[in-house]
Amino acid sequence: MKIRNPFLYSVMALTIAGVTAASAGAQMPQPEITAHTAADGAPTAEMVPVTTFSPDARHDYELALLYHEDLLFVDKGLVSLRKAVKADPRFALAHATLAYFTTDPVEERREYALAQKYMANASPDERLLIRWMDGAKNGGLVPAIAAINDLLSKYPNDKRLANMASEWLCANQAAYEHGEKILKNVLQSDPNYFPALNNLAYCYALSGRPSLAPPLMEQYVTALPAQPNPQDSYGEIMRMLGDYPAALDHYGKALQIDPTFNTSQVGIASTYALMGDQERARAQYLIAISGTKERTTKLDYRILWAMTYYRENQIERGSREFAKLAAEAHAADLPVEEAEIHRNMAIFNPEPHHALRSLDAARLVLTENHEISQGSREIELANILQTRAFIAERAGMADAAQKALKPLSAMAQTSRSNIVQQAYHSANGAVLMMQEKYGAAISELMEDPQNPLSLQLLADAQNRAGQAADAQKTLATLAAINDERVETAFAVPQARAALKNGSPTTAQVGTH
Amino acid sequence: MRKRLLTLGLLIMSVAAVAFATDFAVIVNPSNPVRAMALVELGKIFKGKTHMWSSERSITIVLRDPDSPGMKFVIEKVLGGTFEEGKAILNDPSRKTTVPVVFASSDEEVIKIVGSSPGAIGVVDVYNITSGVKVIKIDDKQPFDPGYILKGH
Repeated sequence: MKIRNPFLYSVMALTIAGVTAASAGAQMPQPEITAHTAADGAPTAEMVPVTTFSPDARHDYELALLYHEDLLFVDKGLVSLRKAVKADPRFALAHATLAYFTTDPVEERREYALAQKYMANASPDERLLIRWMDGAKNGGLVPAIAAINDLLSKYPNDKRLANMASEWLCANQAAYEHGEKILKNVLQSDPNYFPALNNLAYCYALSGRPSLAPPLMEQYVTALPAQPNPQDSYGEIMRMLGDYPAALDHYGKALQIDPTFNTSQVGIASTYALMGDQERARAQYLIAISGTKERTTKLDYRILWAMTYYRENQIERGSREFAKLAAEAHAADLPVEEAEIHRNMAIFNPEPHHALRSLDAARLVLTENHEISQGSREIELANILQTRAFIAERAGMADAAQKALKPLSAMAQTSRSNIVQQAYHSANGAVLMMQEKYGAAISELMEDPQNPLSLQLLADAQNRAGQAADAQKTLATLAAINDERVETAFAVPQARAALKNGSPTTAQVGTH
Repeated sequence: MRKRLLTLGLLIMSVAAVAFATDFAVIVNPSNPVRAMALVELGKIFKGKTHMWSSERSITIVLRDPDSPGMKFVIEKVLGGTFEEGKAILNDPSRKTTVPVVFASSDEEVIKIVGSSPGAIGVVDVYNITSGVKVIKIDDKQPFDPGYILKGH
């Protein structure tokens, strides 16, 4: 059994003796290049080095990775990274890591700029790591892949590096085969390396092989009986499998271990929401909201809380709560969240003209002068346009669907984002459906296999094309989704109702 | 728990595994000045019709075994005919003197050979590339660009 004690680990990090590197500047103390610590606290050249002149910054950086990457105390990890860059403002890798992990667009932009500014202080291998983080999040994928593969090859025993890379491959790039390969190599050398057990389970789940995940979760909870995240992950996996009682049980165990592990609080809330018990879900969300200080996380949880009203068909109340959240997001200068809130309102608005007005509002937010990365703006705009095409199709508004498709088509010509590409295919599928070109629509909609709205359209297109058996399979796929997305909250109950009623399509039970 | 950032839009439990696309990267030795070529040109190299780089270096093709995953798509796309026709072209013994084809057991081996052979050109899954090789554009697009021609399922 392997248990990692955060306090002990951080003390170890402070005791590192390193090799002095080239001077970073005449007025500043000389930075030192040292490796991370091995499990016994001794320096090792087997891990990517970390360059900082400040022992405090190094301590906070190591602690941040332990919290954020290993133990999944995400907020604590961010706090430690902020301390690290405060202790050493010229710590390029810490700036880049903070930019990579944060969900706050203002912070992301600022920290990437600082990472670039102080890049000369970093060692060549840290620069590779920074290049990967930047490329991975901002679309420079080819150099990012080359950089991470170079590092993986040079540091085959850096388990944390391997874990971070595979997490990105599985969760962000849908490159499951590659992520799995790296994780299996890690587990071969250390069968109880717990972050890899966690990520491999998620990799299986995300790639459509959920039954392979629970045995890994068993291993994970056994390896770390005193940590909350293994139970939290187990809960999420069981919820994804549709086993709500088991999910609640594991989330509850996580909170018994650490009552402040807020993601489990949200996990319980969302599980109740998926079970249809919105009253209980709201009460649990409120506890989670009061337990977080991160402004974006807090707003995300509040969006989930407000969504419970839509889930129980209290459209007016839901819209009222979402309108309040939109105003707050606007005041807090969180444009992506603000746009997302308007888009959520549109999805649940039964009146298509009003829904399209909400989408206009969402789009307007993105045209205003906000601190927002090009990538985030592009993705949210693509989501808005895709939703517009979906709503237009459901309402038989051919012009509106075409108007959504046109800018999306232009974006798809230049964007490397998978989300933009999939949004385009989905919107094109919606337009083709309205033109009664069902074969072409099916092929387009199949390009977006993970979006509940696209799956709903796909099932309808397959039915209209006379492919009843395929339509039933698509409906079953849709009905089996158990996650927190607004698209899921909208489309999945309809799919389940259609399957229960033996209806060939969700069109009759949909609100649009 | 996974970070929201990383799982955005990806949490699905389907009743069957979902198929996902992979981009194939065309790679050359970093010393090769070539930065881009048309798919038609790549096809001519694969067919043995073009056998020298403009630097007058001989071309060697390095590929994974044709029966390995993804190679059927690459061969059909680059050579334009059926998979069997493509395999026959690549395995033609007479081409050893024009544009030889080396079959490697893995992408890692393809990269190793291309990285150490100035005249070599290969095709690998883009997720396996390293800085030891140079990825060239095909029809003015690189992997992950919209409309990239070597995007397979």
